[in-house]
Amino acid sequence: MSLAITVTEAPPVATPRRPRRSWLPLAFIAPATALVIAVSIYPVFDAVLLSLHATRYAQKLQFVGLDNYLALLKDHTVWDDALTAVVYTVGSLALVIPYALAVALLLNRPMRFRGVVRTLAILPWVFSQTVTALLWGWLLNPEFGPVTYVAQQVTGGPAALLASPTGAMAALVGVNVWSSYPMAALLFLAALQTIPADLYEAMRMDGAGKVSLFRYITVPMITPTLVVILIQLTLLYFNMVTLIYVLTGGGPVGSTQTLALRVLKMSFENWDLGRGAALGLVLTFVNLALSLFYVRALRSPHR
Amino acid sequence: MRSARRLVVGNALAGVGALAVIAIALLPVAWGLSTSLKPASQILSFPPKWLPDPPTLASYVQVWEQSNLPIYFRNSVIVTLAALVVALAVSVHAAYAMARFRFRGRNFVLVALLATSMIPGIAILVPLYDLSVHAKLYDSFAGLVIVYAAWNVPILVWLLRGFFESVPIELEEAARIDGCSRLRAFYKIVLPMSQPGLLAAAIMVIMFVWNDFLIAFALTISENRRLLSVGLYTYISNYGVEWGQLTAATMIALVPVVAVFFLLQRRLVEGLMAGALKG
Repeated sequence: MSLAITVTEAPPVATPRRPRRSWLPLAFIAPATALVIAVSIYPVFDAVLLSLHATRYAQKLQFVGLDNYLALLKDHTVWDDALTAVVYTVGSLALVIPYALAVALLLNRPMRFRGVVRTLAILPWVFSQTVTALLWGWLLNPEFGPVTYVAQQVTGGPAALLASPTGAMAALVGVNVWSSYPMAALLFLAALQTIPADLYEAMRMDGAGKVSLFRYITVPMITPTLVVILIQLTLLYFNMVTLIYVLTGGGPVGSTQTLALRVLKMSFENWDLGRGAALGLVLTFVNLALSLFYVRALRSPHR
Repeated sequence: MRSARRLVVGNALAGVGALAVIAIALLPVAWGLSTSLKPASQILSFPPKWLPDPPTLASYVQVWEQSNLPIYFRNSVIVTLAALVVALAVSVHAAYAMARFRFRGRNFVLVALLATSMIPGIAILVPLYDLSVHAKLYDSFAGLVIVYAAWNVPILVWLLRGFFESVPIELEEAARIDGCSRLRAFYKIVLPMSQPGLLAAAIMVIMFVWNDFLIAFALTISENRRLLSVGLYTYISNYGVEWGQLTAATMIALVPVVAVFFLLQRRLVEGLMAGALKG
């Protein structure tokens, strides 16, 4: 009864955030913050410490300053791996963007069974990199794989892709495109669906052909999405480890060993944690640099 | 007339294109499934036999009864569910605080969370290994669960915050006028109304943990703690590969994610897109 009266007198509606200090928000964010500090932020500091020490397994021995970094700089195989990472990333991007866009344009058309077609077309999305690498490894198997067989029939020559350095890189890029195009296609599709149909209609009235519709409406309308996709995929490819590790292991003769894979091998095969941590930090800086580069590129031309 | 014909041709081309895209998407699974159903004598043949004749479940029986696959599978289920509970419990509260309270440092925490999700996993794998050894959590489920949950927290907080903000605040206020505590209003009103968001978040965690390889690879060593993806990998590295059994094991590992995908595809797309777009 009295409650009802207070309400009519002073409606609390406008003041959802009371000035009174509350312990609640603090208690609510504390566990999340603690977890993130322990598992994401502290490890970065630990990585810095590790990278400045000589190590034996997880033990830090004496402080060595920047020796680990200098050793990395002088190691020409590290530079080879960096080059491999660039080839892998750029090669994959060059293929995945047109393929994903084509798939998105296709899925954007009215057609029968569109729901089923969409679901099946983006299926590779749910396969982990491990499973993707295993299944494709079996398809590409040099002795018994169907791809090897078909390639042999077509070319008439030796067709074991994974056995040659260039072939392995080509196969790896192909598999990577297979595994990562769905996300890009879905983002493109979402962008395509925001383009108003009247826009096309108006230009068609003016006698514009399909090519100019695509060039002057579709392309500019999806450019922001394209940049988001480029950022996401560049980082994904540059940091990718599992797919490469399981499919080629970095071989043959190091031809598919990227910088990220090298971090894993340095750390968990050679157990050189100090140097592994150093290379991991270098990788992080490259990530930051790439992100900043894209953000600037995104800002400059259109706004 | 001419434009009608062009339309027909265009539709036919689109149909062919769609079929090609689907065929490429299905090819590896189809070949794996075919191999897993073959009698042992047909697996290593060249030219390859496309279909099993007759199909048999022998590889599945073998891999389920004579390998450690059931252990890996059980481990993956336990760790996935535990990580799901921890990640959701922690993120839900943080996201609510971000959505409904104004406090000092709020924006800093939000941006900092986002920034940590930019740290490449491979770069902090070594310190995580180091940390887990020193915290006596190496080769334990607890260690895995903590890392999996923590790595999902930033994106879940961002995702859920959006959902919570879209719940009309008047509903909570009405409940609190009726004597409901803030906490109760959150549990009884905001959470149930955010079910789509919770589902999207849950799917993201499940997919992440089930599909992860690196963390499990770096933080566990014994057979009893091995997760499915690492288990699959050790098949190829340890013994000469029994492709029938390996493909059968892979098919078994795929069942949960493919089921989630087909049942909840829309939510999955929403969640992962939110994840992709936040950048």
